[in-house]
Amino acid sequence: MLARSAQGLYWMGRYLERTKHVCRLLGLQTAALVDRPVQEIHSGWSRIYNSMGRLPPGGSLERDSTDEFTLADSFTLADDLTFERSNPDSVWTCLSSGRENARQMRHCISPEMWTRLNLAYLRIQKLDILEIWSSSPESFYVETAAEMDTFMGVAAATMYRDEGWHFTEVGRYIERAQLAASLFLAQLAEDPATEEEAAADWTNLLHAYSALETYQSRYGIEVRPTQALDLLATDPLVPGSLCRSLDVMQAELVSIGSGPNAASSAAAQRVAGRLRALIHYEWPDAQDHKGILERVVQYCRDLHDMTAVTYFDYTIESLPMR
Amino acid sequence: MDFKGYDMDPAIYDEMFQSRDEPRAQFQQLYDTLLGVSAGALNSIQEQVTRSFSNEGISFTVYGDDEGTERIIPIDCVPRVISADEWRFLDDGLAQRIKALNNFLEDVYNDGRIIEDGVIPADVVRECPQYRVEMRGFNAPHGAWVAICGTDIVRTNDGFRVLEDNLRVPSGVSYMVANRKAVKASLRRVYRSSRVREVEGYGRLLLETLRELAPGGRSDPSIALLTPGVYNSAFYEHMFLAREIGAELVEGRDLLVDDGFVYMRTTTGLRRVDVIYRRVDDDFMDPLVFRPDSMLGVPGLLHAYRLGNVALANSPGTGVADDKSVYAYVPHMIRYYLSEEPILQNVETYLCRRPKDLEFTLDNLENLVVKRVGESGGYGMLVGPHSTPEEREEYGKQVRANPADFISQPVLALSRAPCLVEGAFEPRHVDLRPFILHGQQTRIVPGAFCRVALRRGSLVVNSSQGGGGKDLWVLED
Repeated sequence: MLARSAQGLYWMGRYLERTKHVCRLLGLQTAALVDRPVQEIHSGWSRIYNSMGRLPPGGSLERDSTDEFTLADSFTLADDLTFERSNPDSVWTCLSSGRENARQMRHCISPEMWTRLNLAYLRIQKLDILEIWSSSPESFYVETAAEMDTFMGVAAATMYRDEGWHFTEVGRYIERAQLAASLFLAQLAEDPATEEEAAADWTNLLHAYSALETYQSRYGIEVRPTQALDLLATDPLVPGSLCRSLDVMQAELVSIGSGPNAASSAAAQRVAGRLRALIHYEWPDAQDHKGILERVVQYCRDLHDMTAVTYFDYTIESLPMR
Repeated sequence: MDFKGYDMDPAIYDEMFQSRDEPRAQFQQLYDTLLGVSAGALNSIQEQVTRSFSNEGISFTVYGDDEGTERIIPIDCVPRVISADEWRFLDDGLAQRIKALNNFLEDVYNDGRIIEDGVIPADVVRECPQYRVEMRGFNAPHGAWVAICGTDIVRTNDGFRVLEDNLRVPSGVSYMVANRKAVKASLRRVYRSSRVREVEGYGRLLLETLRELAPGGRSDPSIALLTPGVYNSAFYEHMFLAREIGAELVEGRDLLVDDGFVYMRTTTGLRRVDVIYRRVDDDFMDPLVFRPDSMLGVPGLLHAYRLGNVALANSPGTGVADDKSVYAYVPHMIRYYLSEEPILQNVETYLCRRPKDLEFTLDNLENLVVKRVGESGGYGMLVGPHSTPEEREEYGKQVRANPADFISQPVLALSRAPCLVEGAFEPRHVDLRPFILHGQQTRIVPGAFCRVALRRGSLVVNSSQGGGGKDLWVLED
């Protein structure tokens, strides 16, 4: 496959995964605005911005603010994370970038995939924060996240399982793993005043990963941070768990096979293996889960760079020509 | 929905009607269907067709447009219908024309017999900016200098006329297929009963043509479509065609030439490319030979082509044959190379490089269309009857300063076809661009991109000037 096409599909996978991730978080966050305490709302915004490594507009969040101020502030923050063109992590930017990559590689994806994605893109083009805020903002986020899920479902049903598919999946799962690890780190960095607050935060997180029911059936109704983190990190049956993302990603890399440079390919495979080992073998006995999560983030970044060097931007001197 | 308010002009050929309320035979079924459809239903069909273009992102870029890079090409839901006899005539004429044009290209880059024999003046050819000295002495594989041609044809009261041949990187074929797909889905019953010939096989014919050009007759050649990139106005079409023929869609930066062979950068290393359907203009194709500042091309590509290690469709240098001055000589080429009379006629053309033609042109600016020989896409021309005295004065000065850069033609009464405009049928001027493929044999898909001048009274059908499209139905025998 043409290296640039593979790269475009890889980025498409990454951007659309990020779109879904941000929508999921914002869907929960805007739902919380209806009836949750100010502290919990504040903690939610703080977790989102910290996990992205970004500062909110204005530079910081007002921790001890009134109800009214928190709601007004939430409007600004939601706009920044949804429609702000200059924010590389906003829903608008991620969806537009994913769609732009798909547009350029449209000949490599199925027509059904393109139409689904284009419809989602056309929909968001017609909206702004005032419009979604005036009705039910959480519906917008839930629907947009569902559109991303539908897109991947359509992809699974219609896309030829060639390299294009594997690179899309690698992009998607590197992104998913990196976002999840960053989010868990941001949650660990929060310092809830009471156990109830901590339980509420982790409940939200379980909810974001569609894992609350699984948690409750396994551990009971009371949410404990350590158990929640364990589930989200290590359960291969939870769709968004770190364990599952890293397993799929490594399998997809194996399917792609070697790039033109065998040494570079092997190095990338080793990093993927190391990533899996962190969760499969180190995590269960480790005390320092924060340290492991930090390494996951770093290895994901390394793997991203190595994928580019191995398959997309390799040097061409002394390569065999076929 | 009726045609009561339809504004027929007896002086202009109407595609649907031979006289008021009397449709031509090939339109009869469509006409009957339209009469039986309510205005509301037809408007819904129009909306559905337009929406399908928007949803599928079938777009075109208008240069200088501030609306953004993607603009949806307007499509009218009422098809234009061509009878089997009419198509047979066009098909024969187009096949004859591409044969003569390829003979001409092979000749002017080699022996130049047509010039020696005084059929075409040497300066018309050699002074043409599209004449590429770099191609002298080259023999195109199978004589296919032009493998893909899009010829613009209009119908006047005197019959079909060729307006121009597009022999470099003609576009529009994707809209032919897209228009068909959208309209067919909306006018299902009448489409089926009308027995319309299909255009969806264009991709297969294109692939067969490109395969025939493969160097050394390689049986499973690697084919790539070279695009200038996503900002090109026809990027949608490049993507569409790459998909249709299963080719990689490459940009110049994806290719490199080593030891006279062309390679593309894949995920597993460099892979040889045998055939390139290039949609990059000559000027930008190879910075070592043509424009050195081009970032879109591939250094060394022409060298590889001349060595016969890669096939290019179309060959560099074909622009000399669709130059507006050379165009006037196409009928002469047909007689000279094929010893046949031209089936399709040209539009009468005055070459301002000839003193008599210049004088005539300047004296009759208000009645003529004057065009710059180097421009295309409807740019840089003066439509006499629609111009102001000041515009004519200014344009006349330019013509006088560089007569060889201009040609003029009579204003044609382009035929009109009914279009749905704000809920009613209104006549609009139309043309058609069929696509001719030429490898070891000539292939023509029975259809065309039918262009419509959407503004009332306008004669400019170019997509780049805000024109739209229509589906064109060629009926079976």
